[in-house]
This record gives sequence, C-alpha cells and structure tokens, in this order.
Amino acid sequence: MKRNPNAFLKEEYEELVKKNFDWKLHILETGSTPHSIVDGKEVIMLCSNNYLNLSNHPKLIQAAVDAAKKFGAGSGSVRAIAGTMALHMEVEKRLAKFKGTEASLVYQTGFAANAGLIPQLAGKGDIIVSDELNHGSIIDGVRLTKADRAVYKHCDMGDLEKVLKEADKKYNRILIISDGVFSMDGDIAPMDQIVKLGKEYGAMTYVDDAHGEGVIGPDGRGIGAHFGIEGKIDVEMGTFSKAYGVVGGLIAGSQDLINFAYNKSRTWLLSGSHPPAVAGAQLAAINVLETEPEHVKKLWDNTKYFKKELASMGFDTGFSETPITPVIVGESSKAKELSDKLYEEGVFALPIVFPMVARDKARIRTMMNAGLTKEDLDYTLEKFEKLGKQLKII
Amino acid sequence: MVVKIGFLVNPIAGMGGRVGLKGTDGVADEAIKLGAEPVSPKKAVETIKEFLSKYSQDDINWYTCSGEMGEDELKKANIKNFKIIYSHSKEKTTSNDTKNACKKFLENGVDLILFCGGDGTARDIFSIVKNKIPILGIPSGVKMHSGVFGINTNAAAKMLHEFANKRLAVGDAEIMDLDEERYRKGDWNIKLFGIAKGIVEPMYVQVGKTVFESVSEDAVKEERAEHIIDDMKENKEYLYLMGSGGTVDYIAKKIGVKNTLLGIDAIYQNKLIGSDLNEKEILKLLDKYAKAKVILSPIGAQGFILGRGNLQLSPKVVRKIALDNIIVISTPSKLLSTPVLRVDTGDKKLDRDFAKKEFMMVVVGYRLSRVVKIQTNNF
Repeated sequence: MKRNPNAFLKEEYEELVKKNFDWKLHILETGSTPHSIVDGKEVIMLCSNNYLNLSNHPKLIQAAVDAAKKFGAGSGSVRAIAGTMALHMEVEKRLAKFKGTEASLVYQTGFAANAGLIPQLAGKGDIIVSDELNHGSIIDGVRLTKADRAVYKHCDMGDLEKVLKEADKKYNRILIISDGVFSMDGDIAPMDQIVKLGKEYGAMTYVDDAHGEGVIGPDGRGIGAHFGIEGKIDVEMGTFSKAYGVVGGLIAGSQDLINFAYNKSRTWLLSGSHPPAVAGAQLAAINVLETEPEHVKKLWDNTKYFKKELASMGFDTGFSETPITPVIVGESSKAKELSDKLYEEGVFALPIVFPMVARDKARIRTMMNAGLTKEDLDYTLEKFEKLGKQLKII
Repeated sequence: MVVKIGFLVNPIAGMGGRVGLKGTDGVADEAIKLGAEPVSPKKAVETIKEFLSKYSQDDINWYTCSGEMGEDELKKANIKNFKIIYSHSKEKTTSNDTKNACKKFLENGVDLILFCGGDGTARDIFSIVKNKIPILGIPSGVKMHSGVFGINTNAAAKMLHEFANKRLAVGDAEIMDLDEERYRKGDWNIKLFGIAKGIVEPMYVQVGKTVFESVSEDAVKEERAEHIIDDMKENKEYLYLMGSGGTVDYIAKKIGVKNTLLGIDAIYQNKLIGSDLNEKEILKLLDKYAKAKVILSPIGAQGFILGRGNLQLSPKVVRKIALDNIIVISTPSKLLSTPVLRVDTGDKKLDRDFAKKEFMMVVVGYRLSRVVKIQTNNF
C-alpha cells in the first residue's frame, strides 16, 4: 500500500493550530528571574514555579559549578549500572533527614517518579482511589496499571470514605493518591484525614507534593510537616524543579519503600542519572532550606500581602491557601484579554480556561516568588486594579 | 457559523396539570372545560427572551410553525426573521400537527429542534425524527421524565446558546412517557419509548499538560464496553441481564449479539439467550443460572436505575440477583445532569435495602468508577 507515513505529523499539528490548542512557546532571554525578559520584553514573572528564587541563589550556582568541575558534565550511566555517584547518595540521605522520613530516592523528573512508581504499587485485583483534580502525571501513572480506579470528589472526605468502604470488600490492595497542593486552585489536600482514613481501611497513601515541597510546612519541609504527620504518609512524592530551584523528582518514605521503588520503577532504571551539577545543586538547595529560613518567610510575606490587596480590590481569589493565587475573572475570553493586557503592562501571568477549570471560572493563575520586592508587588497590583476596572471585573 | 433551529410549541402542553389530569394527552378538551390555561406559550416566550437578552450575538436561522405553534411566541419575544415551514389547519392543534411539523423540519435540514412541551410532545417528535437530529425541550409539560429537557427555561436558553457555539456534544437521551390512559386508572407505568439524540456536556481528555480535547460519546462508550467485556471474561459462570438504553446496548453490540434497545435481554458466555424478556421469563432464567449480574444505566431526566422503564426487573428479580450484583454504568455527562441514582421498586423493604447502601459505584470508563448517591424516597 502506498502511503505517506509522515503526513499525519503536519495534519495533526495544523489541526491543533486551527483550534488554537497548540503551545506557543515563550522565550526567556534571561534566567528564571523575578524580572525576566520574555519574548523580548521585560516582565515581572508570575508564572514560574521557582517559588523561592533558589535557581538564582549563589550557593546553588556555585555547588553546580563545583560538582561539574570535580565530577564532569554527565554521569555516564543509569543509576542501576554505573551512574550512582557518592553525590547522588548524599542528596538522598540529606533529603530523607530534611523530610523526616527513613529514606528517599531521587528520580530523573517528577513525572518519572509518578509514571514509574504508581504502576508498581497496584496491579490486578487492586484499586487506586484518586482525587478528581489530580495532576496529569498521576493520571498517566494510574493508566499504566492493571488496577481498577475510583475517583472521589475533590477533597471530599465523605466521598473518599464511601469509596474506601466499597473497595474494602472487593480488592486486595488499596492505594489513595492525592495532589498535596492543587496546582489550579492552590488549595491543600487534607492529608491528615486522608492518612487517618488510610489507616482505618488498610489503604496505602501517596501524595504528590510538587507544589508544597519547599513551600508549606516549617522551613518548607512539605505537606507531612505542614500537618505534623512526618513519616506517616506512605509515599511522599515531590520535585526538585519547583521551589528547590533545580530539577528532578523525589520520593520519601520507609526504607522498604525505597528498596522496592528503585528495583521496580522502570523510569528510574532505564533513564540516565542526573549530571553531577544537578545533584550538587540539589544538595545545596537542601542546605539553603535548612540554614536560611528567610526565603520561605519572604515567599509567605509576599503571598499574604498580594492576596490581601487583591481581595480588597474586589477580586475573587478562590480558596487558595498557598502562593498559587488564582484571580478568577469568569469567561475564558476575559481571562485571555486580561493576560494579554498584563503582558503589555509588563506582568507575565497566563490564563487558565475551560475545560481546565469550569466555564465560568476562567482565571489568571499567579505564582508568587520570594525574589519579588514590595515595589514589584505594588506595581503588579496597580496593573491588576487598573485592568480589572477597565475590563469590568471589579 | 449559522445554526438552523426548528422551533415548535405544543400550545396545549402542561394544561392538564393544574386541573389534576396528570397529563393532557387525549383530554385537552376536558382540561379546557375544567378551566385550564395555556402554560407552554408563556414558557416558550420566556426562554426565547432569556436567550436573546444574553446571547443576542448568536447567528441563528429560525424555522417554525404558524400561529401558536411557534410563530406567535417568536413574535412576542421580538424575533422578526423566521421562516414558517408548517401551518396547522384546524383551530386546535393535535399531535399530528407536531409530527407533520417535524417532517418539515427534517426536509429543511435544521440542526436542532427546540420544542416547548412535555413527555408527550417529545414522544411525538421522536416518532418522526428518531435519532437523526438532536432535540432540546423547554420544560412545560405535566410529566418530564425524558432526558431531553433543560431543567428550567433559563437552562434551556443556555443550552441552546452552548449548542449554537458548538460547545455541547450530541449524546443519547431517553424518551419516556407515562401511559396516561393507564395512569388515570391508577396504574403507574412509565415506559421507555426510544433513545433520541439530546445535547450533553462533552467529555474532555487531557492531551497535554493544560490542553484538553473533547472526545466523542462513542469513544467513552467504547471504554465502558471494554470494562464490562472484561468483567464477563472473568465471570464466565455468570448470567448477564442487560438493561435498557443506549449505554448498555452498545456493550451488546461490541459482543456481537443483537439485543433490544428498550427491553431486558440476557447474555451468557457471549451468547444472547433471551431477548425482550418479561418478569416471568427472567425469573425462569434465574432459576436455571445460579449466578447472575444485571447491568443498568440511569434512565431519563431523573436518573432512575430501577422503577422507570424497566418494571420487568421486579423486586423479586432484583432480590434474586442480589444488590451486590448490580453493575451501574453511565456516561460522565449523564452524571452531571443526574447526580443521584433513583430507585423506586414499588417494594418498600427493597427500597430500604437500597437506601441502606447509601451509594453505588458507577462505572464511567475503563476500570474507572465514581461513587454516586442513591435516592429512594418517592416523588
């Protein structure tokens, strides 16, 4: 049969463009800094996950340089064969201590942690119980299993308990998975109650704390510390790419979990390990978090000020409890317009529209940064107020 | 893009209700004698006005019928441009007028029929258009069990707007009606007449980090069919009773057996061993096969899984199968519009057993389920 094997590439891409579903990449000419140059224009950055501005911290940069000089640019292998350096082991030891767990394991990315570990934790005859607003990487991890899946209403413990009650009768293992901080709304999963329910029904608990790591809990130790239940969540998964300012996925928990995880996670076993510079910077990030509490404090001071001012202007900022502050404006077109105008005024914040959120809950999602000054925030707030009035949002 | 809407009002719909007639089918004269006043023309005008006030920019070509079957209402709502494609001859309109108008709508290639009436009107429309084009009801009848109605006039206006802007998908909607003749004699029997096309909230799947694509109702049906087929493979010793409706029907199609869309059928080891069964026949099968499961999906506007449209599944049948062997499947869009599952078996004790369960797991995708509340009190 005569066919053009590559025709679909162009066709499908063009279809995406037609629907306006294609990703338009924004190019940074600077680092991920509080003031970045995006698409040739200097803007205040409200889209990055670099919450603590650690990617620009001199100690992290120096540690990356030193590690590269000492151990080279790459690691030469996957972790399992010849790619585990003493530096990698040191990161995991320090991370476990920081999180108050027995052990930890670093994955190549957060996605690799979810996609690699979740399918190993539940199989045929088991069930995974998942919050309806969980992140895409969890959903993909869950798709790779042969386990049944049940979804409960967002953060609804009554609904979760109903599922558990039903699951208890029919399944061998039960695994409850939830985001820690939900990335669209900035609310926090009630992990203390989830852990309690898990205990009651003999279910394993798994939290994806990507947006909580380095942000919530004392010194940014994450969701376990936030609820005072360190070491009680069976799997605390997180990432080095957000508040830690580097890259990489992580899990923290018991030594049994770690032994199981690195022997069974295919993503971990089959990808090259982090370059020494990455591991060096990860270690430095933990050091900074342990010794310089001012970054987390500044992040929260900024967050509180920003939220308070937005609310007093009359903006609807939803139920956020974290530095992710949605500014809910209603119709999708309005959110897009506000975002475009903010960019023109030098503020970079992207819109989140239907179907990611409900039709009438389109929003601008802002993410606070510890590197922003009060002047930066006042400038941003002034623009929000001006445009909010202009677009009749407030 | 221009959307062609066929607009039809059944001017006598809903009149029986106020005078205690439980419907207007066949007794319009009596209702008028008892002092009933027209309800549906007002509701129709209300809906169109609401639509115009909020969504005037929508590009719609209106097709309608003469006089009180649509023309008057559109004029009252201040719509000037419309095409009359059917004129009723007599002073009083009948169900034949509804049917004839629908034939004209089809000839004119409308994209959607927007009608104002109740279950009886929906049935008349369905008898002509079948599932060729979607229909949307402005609720104004005495009975509205069918799944084609907006919950009120505002909702109907909004759905029309979303449809015109291609933001809603076309999906299955049950056409149900009480057998009024029997009901007036005190005999409660709601029948499922067919599966029409209604408009529903589309399903979205995440294709990128923040990009979603809508998937067709068929793709979602496919997932649930695979789920049930797996269940059948793992439970070879079970007899499977297949409930009514499009969601269940699709599974039988996938297995390759010819079951009935509206009746109860039985499948054993991938073979159809009984079709359109009555209670007696079902009980006979349950004597022969020790283990059985029944697959149900919520039916109609209120989300009944038992007691409407499937009286063959009598309390005796349900008890024999056992509550734990009931599998409920549903499209996610249906659960959005009917967030509870209703049960009305006519047997108080059995209803209480359902009430005790409080909720059921409903299969919404491949190996994917949600918990949904059960409601058993009568309405």
